[in-house]
Amino acid sequence: MKLKKIIGYIIGVAALLLVGCYSNNCPLENTVTCNYGFYDAEGTSIYYVDTITVTTLMPGYKTVYTYRKLGNKTVTKDTRDTALVNLGYTETASQQRKDTILLNQLMGATNMKVPMSYFHEEDTLILSYKMILRKDTIKIRHSSYANVELPECGTYRFHTLQNISSTDAAIDHIEISNSKVNYDGNINVKIYFNGVVTE
Amino acid sequence: MRKAMSSNQLRHIICVALMMSTSVLATMAQEQQTQPLMPGETPKPTKYVAVEEQKEHLVFFQGFTLSVDGYGPVAMMVSDYGTLEGALRLNLKNTFFPIIEAGVGKCSKEDFNTKVSYKASAPFGRIGIDFNMLKDKFQNNRLYLGARYGISIFQYDVAGPAQKDPIWGGSKPFSMKSIDCTSHWAELVFGVEVQIVKNFHMGWAVRYKREISSTKSDYAKPNCIPGYGYTTNATCWGGTYSLIFDLNWGMKKSHKRGVNVEIRDLPAQTQDDSPLTIENESEHTDNENGTEEQEE
Repeated sequence: MKLKKIIGYIIGVAALLLVGCYSNNCPLENTVTCNYGFYDAEGTSIYYVDTITVTTLMPGYKTVYTYRKLGNKTVTKDTRDTALVNLGYTETASQQRKDTILLNQLMGATNMKVPMSYFHEEDTLILSYKMILRKDTIKIRHSSYANVELPECGTYRFHTLQNISSTDAAIDHIEISNSKVNYDGNINVKIYFNGVVTE
Repeated sequence: MRKAMSSNQLRHIICVALMMSTSVLATMAQEQQTQPLMPGETPKPTKYVAVEEQKEHLVFFQGFTLSVDGYGPVAMMVSDYGTLEGALRLNLKNTFFPIIEAGVGKCSKEDFNTKVSYKASAPFGRIGIDFNMLKDKFQNNRLYLGARYGISIFQYDVAGPAQKDPIWGGSKPFSMKSIDCTSHWAELVFGVEVQIVKNFHMGWAVRYKREISSTKSDYAKPNCIPGYGYTTNATCWGGTYSLIFDLNWGMKKSHKRGVNVEIRDLPAQTQDDSPLTIENESEHTDNENGTEEQEE
């Protein structure tokens, strides 16, 4: 009789535990981005006070229309503007690489997260600043591969950084600190800006 | 997702139903032993044998048992994961049961939302020991606690819809085949088994499993390990419903040793309440069940 009672309890507890064991453990980050940390020339982590806009070059070309008039600012547009021509502007059409904005006007940040291309070997990032007229170009060579954490979470694209280089408008130097780009959120690239932070 | 959850729930319902059927069988077995008396019938004397005395008489080697799992094949038919497995167990003094389990596990699932599929089918093995927790080691029903170490060396396939680059454009098909993996895990087992007929037992066990390690792949984590189950969480639960056959190979006769066995009749039947003591019981053979022979 005692054994029967014990068995009854065990069945009850086992049933409760079995019913409650399903859960979903998908990663919180649903996009994989390369994390760039900001440092001064000596390696101290900094809040970069200038406003940064990151654009990238895309495959293919586009036609750019430039309008100039003596004594006026030069206007650049992706589409023709006949109104400016009527106002006396000179129109010049030229072919340029397609681009897109990846990060718009980031300000006072310690790092930035920028997506990477899935199927290209090299990404080109153009960093525009508000306080500096010149722009910086960062070139990153990487390989990419598919990753599945769980079937219910879908597929991701992870990257392995191979090589990185940059121009020197505002950047002192640049280096890869963690070549594995995944959804862990670690700093993958360290950007050392010109100048040193003083107390 | 909905499909996965419903099949999980169905599996749990079947598990609970199997557990309940075992307890019903155990109850029936007990009821058969205690049949009500007919009018005018006097109760037969019930012999009480002191357990402490019997312990001395238990033979160390009590034979082998061969068991097959009935839950795994049913789970394989109605859900994404199932096993076909059997076990060979050694019975030492009806107390310790070293056990080797082997089988084949099969996982095949496709997520309803993401359309990502996972397939693995491979053999697995477990080794461990069970301990009979019942005080009376002579009875044929057992309540046991055990531990296992499990291993499976397998390959798995993952496939899904083509990956599309949302910014730069382009897409590539996504399919990865034969990713090698070796997984190790540990299990805690809690179970019950009852004798249905001579040399045949049935029982269920609940298993709490923890993955120790698995080979890491850059491409995909093993979502389901044959013999272990789903790796969605760090631990998982499993169960078996065993059909157990006693194999009496190599069983030795009991020691030719005298045993003090204290036998008492029911108080209603006895004229004299003093217990009858039999000293130096002569050659007592104990083939598979010391209790039955002594009671007879």
